[in-house]
Amino acid sequence: MIDMIPENGIPTEPGAGRKRKILVVEDEFVNREILNAMLEPEYEVISAVSGADAETVLRLRAGEISLVLLDLNLPDRHGLDILREMKEETRTAKIPVIVLTSDKEAEVECLNFGAIDFIPKPYPIPKVVQARVRRTIELSEDRDLIRDTERDHLTGLYTREYFYRYAAQCDVYNPDVPTDALVLDVNHFQMVNERFGKQYADEVLIRIGRAIVALVGASGGIACRRSADTFLVYCPHLTDYPAFLDAIVTAACGDDKGRIRVRLGVCAEAEKSVEMQTRFDRAKIAADTVRGSFTECIAFYDSAMHEKEIYAERLLDEFQAAIDGKQFSVYFQPKFDVRPEKPVLCGAEALVRWIHPELGVISPGIFIPLFENNGLIRILDRYVWRETVRQIAEWKRKYGRTVPVSVNVSRIDMLDPDLVGTLRDLVTKGGLAFGDLHLEITESAYTENARQIISTVNELREIGFVIEMDDFGSGYSSLNMIATLPIDVLKLDMVFIRSVFRENGNLRMLKVIVEIAETLSVPMIAEGVETAEQLNTLREMGCDMVQGYYFSPPKPAADFEKFIGDRLPTGKPANV
Amino acid sequence: MLTLETLRAFGANVEEGLQRCVGMEALYLKLTDKAIRDPAFEELREVAEKGDLDRGFELAHALKGVTANLALTPLSVPIGEITELFRNKTDTDYRPLVSAILQKRDELLSKAN
Repeated sequence: MIDMIPENGIPTEPGAGRKRKILVVEDEFVNREILNAMLEPEYEVISAVSGADAETVLRLRAGEISLVLLDLNLPDRHGLDILREMKEETRTAKIPVIVLTSDKEAEVECLNFGAIDFIPKPYPIPKVVQARVRRTIELSEDRDLIRDTERDHLTGLYTREYFYRYAAQCDVYNPDVPTDALVLDVNHFQMVNERFGKQYADEVLIRIGRAIVALVGASGGIACRRSADTFLVYCPHLTDYPAFLDAIVTAACGDDKGRIRVRLGVCAEAEKSVEMQTRFDRAKIAADTVRGSFTECIAFYDSAMHEKEIYAERLLDEFQAAIDGKQFSVYFQPKFDVRPEKPVLCGAEALVRWIHPELGVISPGIFIPLFENNGLIRILDRYVWRETVRQIAEWKRKYGRTVPVSVNVSRIDMLDPDLVGTLRDLVTKGGLAFGDLHLEITESAYTENARQIISTVNELREIGFVIEMDDFGSGYSSLNMIATLPIDVLKLDMVFIRSVFRENGNLRMLKVIVEIAETLSVPMIAEGVETAEQLNTLREMGCDMVQGYYFSPPKPAADFEKFIGDRLPTGKPANV
Repeated sequence: MLTLETLRAFGANVEEGLQRCVGMEALYLKLTDKAIRDPAFEELREVAEKGDLDRGFELAHALKGVTANLALTPLSVPIGEITELFRNKTDTDYRPLVSAILQKRDELLSKAN
């Protein structure tokens, strides 16, 4: 566009700023003058009287010119040659050209060569010429705007917004052609960036883009780069996905095929009634199922995934109603101090259950990860905290003793700047001591946002909360880091316990971990203890507390009360 | 000196030519004066003598565009016809046709002078 954007940043309306420039290539003085008379009120007209003149102007001022009016019969060159050269040259290819001709046969040829329109001779009335010129410039500028926004600048593929629009058009024009929605993701692309540099990583993305176009372009397939390293492809149904993926990886890395791994999610031959974006969401779900795999790199969206997705969607939809209707129940699993000969109840962990009126009891293993992914876990956690505080207070009134209960504090809660205040208010209003509510923070949270998490945990400990590091043994904590972490209790991961006892040889590792807890001078709780053998071994090794089905599964508050009644203050577990 | 009246009397479609010149009478008369003094007319006579059909087409085609734009119908019609003959390389004697065109041109030129 010729119009400049003014200093205030607000673009002027077309025509409100400087005049657009039109190059008139016409050797006949009379014809040039007539065109000048028609155009000059609205445009700045640059005249060229020969092919050579036109070439000079285009070479020097291509970026300024909004339109070329081109006569075909010039003294030194044929207009079609100039037109062809303009379309071949990057700097001039986008300038729209209207051909001036009295030759009907030449019109079709001109359009085929890239002319956008033609004006016959003798010229139509000025209004017609002016309207054609104005409309051509408008369309060209709109097209340039679209071109700038519809293409990803790195790969030249469509941007996401245009891709979805064009994919929908594919369906309109080819309603009966079976099509696939494909998602390609480069595994650990950030590492490709870090290991080989941004230039190499960008080159990989460019090559992937080119390979996709080469593979599906001819059959009418289209592609876009959805985000940094994610590509979407919509194409007629493929039959050999491994060959497709292999061709892309080969194109991306050349001889260094091991350098990158690409995973492919396929939503094959989806019903065209399914929303376009949904098809790609499904392909993405499939792709993510092989995210960490070194053996599988292609996954298909199937009916099982579909059912799981529908189920998850239903749970998300019904979450708020479930909170309002108190469908979430807090269960309590007892923790026993196993240092005395007879284990003594020393607390409990609050665990949430969803008692759905139609679906029955829903496992937290299903809904917790779901809510963790979208932040709803914060609402659920607060619900559990409130219920737990209320319950501890009730037991305190009823039995005159406190049963400390630990609650889970999710990763996302730890990033909440109001967390400390929220917990403090909750406990204070519930009439409890801060030490009555233990907070379980998962081991991996410490490694993700270490500085902020540690600062928050320090603040909570200073107030008086007891901090239990949950899931210890499941993550990748460095020993060096653990030594400096502010924790009061180490909670050994249930999965770790089970694997240790399943593979007899790992008992030494268990011993090492118990010794770590001793070295840190913090008590250790072993979760997931199910057998007498496990209990005895842990006891012998010096584990302080135990939680698990061996003693009791998580129980509703009313059922849990019998542990309190039976075991406080004397404490004699009935089933031990 | 050319006027709109002399052009009308000549048979030009003055309203059409004037409209193309965005209603600017002076421009229309100036361009018409320029057009009828175009050396291409004289050269057309020479190529007709020589039988140079390619050059004849170039000249006739150019004159056709100019005279048609100015709506000088008594000129543009025969020039259009001879253009097609040149284009098709029709084997004919072009001299009388060119003479007729030049006669019409001269008619106007005498008014202009």
